[in-house]
Amino acid sequence: MSATSIVYVVDDDPSIRDSLDSLLASEGHAVQAFDSAPSFMAADRPDLPGCLVLDVRLRGSSGLEFQRELTRRGIGIPVVFISGHGDVPMSVAAMKAGAIEFLLKPYRDQDLLDAVHRGIELDRRCRAQASERAALRARFAALTPREREVMPLVASGLLNKQIAAQLRLSEVTVKVHRAQIMHKMQARSLAELVRFADRLAADGIADGPGDTFV
Amino acid sequence: MQGHEPVVILAQPRPLAVVFVAVALLAALLAASPYARVPTHGTEVFVAAYGAASFVLEIITAVLLFALFYVQGGAALGMLACGYLFSALTLPAWVMSFPGVFEGLGVEPGLQTTATIAALRRLAFAVCLLAYALAPTRMAAEPPAFRTILLTIAGVCGAAVLALWLIDRGAAVLPPFMRDRRDINALWLHVAGTVMAVYLASLGLLLRRRKGLDLWICLVIFSLVIELLLLSFLGGGTRLSLGWWAGRLYGLTAAGIVLLALLADTATIHARLLQSSAAERRARQNRLTAMEALSASIAHEINQPLASMITNADAGLRWLARSKPESARVEEALRRIVADGHRANKVVSGIRTMFMKGAQERAPLDLNAVITEVLLAASPEARIAGIPIEVALDPRPAIVIGNALQLSQVVSNLVENAIDAMRSVPGRHRTLILRTRRLASGEVEVAVEDSGAGVPAGMEQRIFEPFVSTKAGGMGMGLMFCRAVVEAHGGMLRVSPNRPRGAIFRFALPAAEGSGRDAGTGA
Repeated sequence: MSATSIVYVVDDDPSIRDSLDSLLASEGHAVQAFDSAPSFMAADRPDLPGCLVLDVRLRGSSGLEFQRELTRRGIGIPVVFISGHGDVPMSVAAMKAGAIEFLLKPYRDQDLLDAVHRGIELDRRCRAQASERAALRARFAALTPREREVMPLVASGLLNKQIAAQLRLSEVTVKVHRAQIMHKMQARSLAELVRFADRLAADGIADGPGDTFV
Repeated sequence: MQGHEPVVILAQPRPLAVVFVAVALLAALLAASPYARVPTHGTEVFVAAYGAASFVLEIITAVLLFALFYVQGGAALGMLACGYLFSALTLPAWVMSFPGVFEGLGVEPGLQTTATIAALRRLAFAVCLLAYALAPTRMAAEPPAFRTILLTIAGVCGAAVLALWLIDRGAAVLPPFMRDRRDINALWLHVAGTVMAVYLASLGLLLRRRKGLDLWICLVIFSLVIELLLLSFLGGGTRLSLGWWAGRLYGLTAAGIVLLALLADTATIHARLLQSSAAERRARQNRLTAMEALSASIAHEINQPLASMITNADAGLRWLARSKPESARVEEALRRIVADGHRANKVVSGIRTMFMKGAQERAPLDLNAVITEVLLAASPEARIAGIPIEVALDPRPAIVIGNALQLSQVVSNLVENAIDAMRSVPGRHRTLILRTRRLASGEVEVAVEDSGAGVPAGMEQRIFEPFVSTKAGGMGMGLMFCRAVVEAHGGMLRVSPNRPRGAIFRFALPAAEGSGRDAGTGA
């Protein structure tokens, strides 16, 4: 199946699993169902935007615990909780830990499908951002040490003359560095370079503009 | 009738301790006896102090004994309480009439009055002690009503007043006990001898019985015997001699012993009461928690197939609604719905067999006996809550075919509810009545009538529904269970308002055949 997204279902009750499988499939979702958290972890999961439908009460462990473990392992898949007995503290804990939705069984089908849809869209956006960030990091890695020094100064809006004075370089050299940086970072304008620098700074890769040397 | 444990179990003194105290008392007597005849002067003022101390000790002892009597009954305790009360009540008159004590106030009683009162006091107390020793200590099946106790106290007061009045009026006819203001005559020695004989007889009986307060009372008697010895014989029968005063000290000791024993036990009893009410609350809480856990797990067990059925049905509808309906997927969904339905049904029938385990075991049983047994278990709680239980059972055995355990749970549930409903009602309006009677239709009716808060208007039917409760913290399971059991026994549980307040819960069950007219042999 050439699916563009996937929904995982983890519930220890086979009849719930089958019914969810059928419901999600009827809306054209690709579904993989698991009876426990470990079998989900062990499975070969396709690299596609997805969403996890997770029962709060699992045999052997709790769904909330599993949600925390996913976060710890850096598996940022959006989670939709379903629960047979939901109390307020539990749902609050789940939502605080980043769940998309907390649905009580029996849930309305549309609520579940909407939540799953939101989850997939969120994952898609996250994945896009992550790959963009990875690309940016790769481009930044391609800069020479001197260029990495110059880039934050450029991004902070200093003129070539000022940068040259600060780094004790000739203005021409700075001009060459600047062209190289724009080219390697694939920035079409200074504004775009500033945005890239900000994003890298947010990731802790490069220093923010302005506070390079003293 | 099953024997039941007293609510309050008095701590027994260790026999060795009793012997030790007795020996100490005896040693004190021997030490005092050589000086017994030495007269004292001007000690009349202490008579009033002695009288006041004895009065306080005896009256408090009497009150505590009556309280104990009220809680656990038993004629012996009642007799002892009466003895202390009578003794205390006649004491002020004794002090007032004592020569040289209140003369300054113009009190001028006859020469014999004090001694006559003393003779009456000692004889009455000795008789009460003997009655205590002879009466059964076993807790009565039915502890005395509050009214009985009030009447007893009134009776003792009346007797004391009457006796004192007669002594005052009949000074001329009553035999003299005194030669002069200080010295007794031979007749007093007869009184003392008689009293000591009664004491020793009681002592013998109590030493053999040794239950409850008995050993304490033995010490009391021992002290009293020594007191009499000192007063009447060793002191030479002279008032205010050293021996006489020593005797008085023994008398005070005697008055204090039971009080100390009772006070010490009151503390223990209080602690135990707190413990048991805490235990009761815990047990109730545990039952509630267990019920909550049970209903949560039942809810989960039923909710699971329900959720699956709904999801399958939704999925089926969606498969059908597709532009190219997929009948194979629809069929799958329908099959799963059927399976889930069966699964839910299995859960329900599992619960039913779990709850109604043994429900099919039915035998002829006497509803009167069921009620009596429930009351036996519930009466301590009712007593502590200050709720008198009246029982008006049909004298004929009320034989029905049923499950004894379930029916007794029904009655005990209704009684517990009634007690709970009356906790907020002022004490003298609290009544709980249990009735059985045979109806013309041949059914046996059981009614539990309370004078509590009653069932709020409009709730008469709803209270039998599950999870509906008018009690704070109630689960709303009790009455549902009661109604289910009664219906399973072919009856109907109804509620109606009681007059002037409260509620009456009643149910009627068909009487077992053959138990109609002639007394059935019963279960």
